[in-house]
Amino acid sequence: MAFFEQDIHDAPSTFLSKYVFSFDHKVIAKQFLWYGIAFLGIGGMMALMIRWTLAFPGEPFPIIGDILFPNSGGIVPPDTYAMLFTLHGTIMIFFAITPILIGAFGNFCIPLMIGARDMVFPTLNMLSFWLAVLSAVLLLASLFTPLGGAAGGWTSYPTLSTLIGSAGVGQTLWCLSLFVLGVSSTMGAVNYIATIITLRAPGMGYFDMPLTVWGLWLTAVLNAIFLPVLGAGLLLLTFDRVFGTTFFLAGAAATSGSGDPVLFQHVFWIFGHPEVYILILPAWGIVSDLLSFFSRKPAFGAKATALAMTSITILSTVVYGHHMYSTQMSPLLTQSFMMLTMVISIPSAVFFANWLGTLWKGSIRFQTPMLFSLGVVFVFGLGGLTGLYLATVSTDLYLHDTYFVVGHFHYTMAASVLLGGFAGTYFWFPKMYGRMMNERLGKIHFWISMVGLNGIFMGMMIIGHAGMHRRIYNPFVYEFLQNLIPLNRFITYSALVMGAGQLFFVWNFIYSMYKGPIATQNPWEVGTLDWTIPSPAPHYNFKEIPVVRCGPHELGNPNLVGKDFQYQTEELVKA
Amino acid sequence: MALAEARNNIMQSKEGDKVISSVAMVVALISFGMLFLTLMMSFALYRFTAPVWPPAGMEKPSLLIPSISTFLIILSSLAYFSFEKKTAKGLIDKQGLMMTIILGTSFMVSQAIFWNQLKSHGIFVSSGIFASVMYAFTWIHAAHIVVALALLVWLYKKLSSPDKMTSVMVSSAGKFWHFLGIVWLIMFVTIFVL
Amino acid sequence: MNLLLNFFMKFFVPSANAAEHVGFFEAIKPPIDISTNGHLIDSLFQLTTNLILFFFFFVCLGIFGFSYLYSKKRHPKPLYNHGTSRKQLALVAGIGALVFIMVDMQITTISNHDFINHFLNYPKEENEKVLRVEVLAQQWAWNFRYPGKDGIFNTEDDVVTLNDLRVPVNTKVIFQVSSKDVIHALYFPNARIKVDAMPGRISRLWYELTKTGLYDIACAEMCGTFHYRMQAKLTVYPQDEFETWQKEMQERATHVTEQDKPDLFWGWQWESTSTLSKN
Repeated sequence: MAFFEQDIHDAPSTFLSKYVFSFDHKVIAKQFLWYGIAFLGIGGMMALMIRWTLAFPGEPFPIIGDILFPNSGGIVPPDTYAMLFTLHGTIMIFFAITPILIGAFGNFCIPLMIGARDMVFPTLNMLSFWLAVLSAVLLLASLFTPLGGAAGGWTSYPTLSTLIGSAGVGQTLWCLSLFVLGVSSTMGAVNYIATIITLRAPGMGYFDMPLTVWGLWLTAVLNAIFLPVLGAGLLLLTFDRVFGTTFFLAGAAATSGSGDPVLFQHVFWIFGHPEVYILILPAWGIVSDLLSFFSRKPAFGAKATALAMTSITILSTVVYGHHMYSTQMSPLLTQSFMMLTMVISIPSAVFFANWLGTLWKGSIRFQTPMLFSLGVVFVFGLGGLTGLYLATVSTDLYLHDTYFVVGHFHYTMAASVLLGGFAGTYFWFPKMYGRMMNERLGKIHFWISMVGLNGIFMGMMIIGHAGMHRRIYNPFVYEFLQNLIPLNRFITYSALVMGAGQLFFVWNFIYSMYKGPIATQNPWEVGTLDWTIPSPAPHYNFKEIPVVRCGPHELGNPNLVGKDFQYQTEELVKA
Repeated sequence: MALAEARNNIMQSKEGDKVISSVAMVVALISFGMLFLTLMMSFALYRFTAPVWPPAGMEKPSLLIPSISTFLIILSSLAYFSFEKKTAKGLIDKQGLMMTIILGTSFMVSQAIFWNQLKSHGIFVSSGIFASVMYAFTWIHAAHIVVALALLVWLYKKLSSPDKMTSVMVSSAGKFWHFLGIVWLIMFVTIFVL
Repeated sequence: MNLLLNFFMKFFVPSANAAEHVGFFEAIKPPIDISTNGHLIDSLFQLTTNLILFFFFFVCLGIFGFSYLYSKKRHPKPLYNHGTSRKQLALVAGIGALVFIMVDMQITTISNHDFINHFLNYPKEENEKVLRVEVLAQQWAWNFRYPGKDGIFNTEDDVVTLNDLRVPVNTKVIFQVSSKDVIHALYFPNARIKVDAMPGRISRLWYELTKTGLYDIACAEMCGTFHYRMQAKLTVYPQDEFETWQKEMQERATHVTEQDKPDLFWGWQWESTSTLSKN
């Protein structure tokens, strides 16, 4: 791939050019990581307030309730509740998971793992981060407008999200914020795609790339294609709100013209379903790699895994209709979408077979990243399989818009992605900061998270099956939900436990940054290119551009002498 | 002397830079294309679910001004083509780029006239779905044109001191400009003519 | 300290409320099924659960079993295998095919059958005795409209109720649902069914109830601040009681409805469902 001669630039010297407006992909990755973790905290806090309201309706939120909601005596008011779950969804998806999985790991891993000195467009990369900051500012600013932030759900279906349903600047700012974020992510995606196509080290074919890079690449492709679709929808919605167009207005309350509110749902889910895979693909990639690294054997059917990821990427673009069964599309469409959705389970089954095949006859080391990876296999198994109920039209008639849906997508999007993100963080921390994270704290963090999130999301699926619908402030005004009070409380306790468990992570992260044991160049003893350079990685990454001679998962080769792995730069050792 | 040096600089552009830029530009254009494709999809939905189009009480604006716009944007694309060709040979054709910028600006002027005409015909932004489509789609396209024009002006300044990236930039900016021309053509045929 | 203690007393010590008499497995059951088609959904749910548990069992067996058997201590020498032999590829493909045939095909077939033959199989209005109801959702209430004595909607003698739906038992009921302002969803937990109420569109739903009693109707789609309060009551009467009620309401309607209040005539022309069930 000698497309490009990469120069070694001088190390940035001033504080601003080194830590703030940096062109270095590793610094931008760390910025995205901190940005994501900060928003993870905010979104998590919102989740606790939501859970508190559901378990103890009418009780003031403990400790900080009086400060946040002084007008209602510390109780979360219903309009604020709507704002909370809207922003919880928005923040977690667009401002926590996207920056961590795609912004941080994408920026950090892609150049290091393909043997490049930096991204192909460093300036675009920096712009992408600062646009994301601008978007966060817009979103947070919406909270301080007179009528508060957006409160129409993260899907913000019109006509609720038009002026008919929500007056005020909050919803408009929300639209603009997501539009800016979309531009930022698209910039990042263009950068990732171009980097992977043009800057792979000499000798590195597409199937010699680690699966992490595969995941991130496919994510970038989906981002580049489908974020503009959301962008178009948001633009039209903004026009409806600001200029009085009538794209999504209909019905008696709309004074003029007849648009179509359902069109927004189509546009939103054409983007929204790929978005689910945008979030999960990097986690799949990371997990596929880590399972192999810590089982000390090659990834089982790595090529098949990569192709399965690709086919899911393609399939994800044609199944969006399963989010809209209850809008009564034509029966033919409904059935086609059901069939197509079901097909996704074939590549998913291939994943699981390959993941378990990787573990099979390995020599498994249960270090923290491995625990988290195993956790992903477990929770994604649950999350993926429960998707079957919702892909099926007739069971979806009952389960649509209930907590079953909430439980299902939290298992896939929150639990799996979060655990995958943690696995990546524990794994690449030494390369980022040159120090190791504490194993014991990491394991405590893992078990608390695992118990907590299964308590929460399994509980949600159970109450969903019992009929409790989504986004309600006080479920207990309904007679048929009276019995669910104890279970709702159990979910809230689990959420509190899980929230408290994250403190171990925060402490571990910050403490290890300064005081952790110094990491060696290759603490995990794996052979991908990122571990051929010192920890932390120097600003130019590779003194000499490496030449790749074997695949990324060459572990446990019996012909090797003295070690059980070989670097990708070494010729494959044969008997 | 200066001319020869400039020519030298332009011809020095590396093959690698060209490949990377075209890969990135193609990806970016796919993104932009999806944005406009979504708009077109919405239009198709409104068009085919409406019992009559344009909806009752609305009248299609005359084709005169949109046709002029189309003519202008095609001309500007052609001007850019010849400019690109000359750049590839190492010549700096400042007039060619100026011509493109002037034609692009007059396209914007014709758009402004078009919006005024709509208003004078009593078609306001808020008068229903037909007006929404007319205004919003041309707005979104025009916003892209403005960005592209800014890009071209910046490129014009850059032409005074050409370096090895110049020809790469010329071809990338060109891809975007021609893309916007094609989008306008599609919009002209679907929204105005049909 | 006192504050903290209070806090614990309040939330962590079980209090004696009514819900506690219900056992855990009783509490998590879906609401009682009162429709003729509800059991289709329940049984498909059960089948899917069984299939899922079957496959998830193997996933767990893999995760925990392999973790136990092949830990570093027990199995220090890993097998050097890329999983690319023809046999292994066939195995992986076989697992994919097995999932598709065993789970997907089965569920899809059953669901398609139920969907076409039951949920979309609207009763023929000409041949059968059906009750027709128009539903208009608004922030945050449900309006129900029954045709009056003339059997035509949107006339003066219509029976209009607010948040109060009454239907006879063992009779097919067809709903046409629309919305005044934002998107809502008409949700009958006890009939296992819901449909979106969308402004500018009419969506349809039908069911036949088998048990009399008083049940909940909810809005399932986020529709604003008081979404959670958008509750209506469903009363299922025995046939004769329903007729009595209907007669009484019709009688009252002819006297009460004011002609010059355009707000009251929010109904629409009933679109016969016999033409709809075909497409």
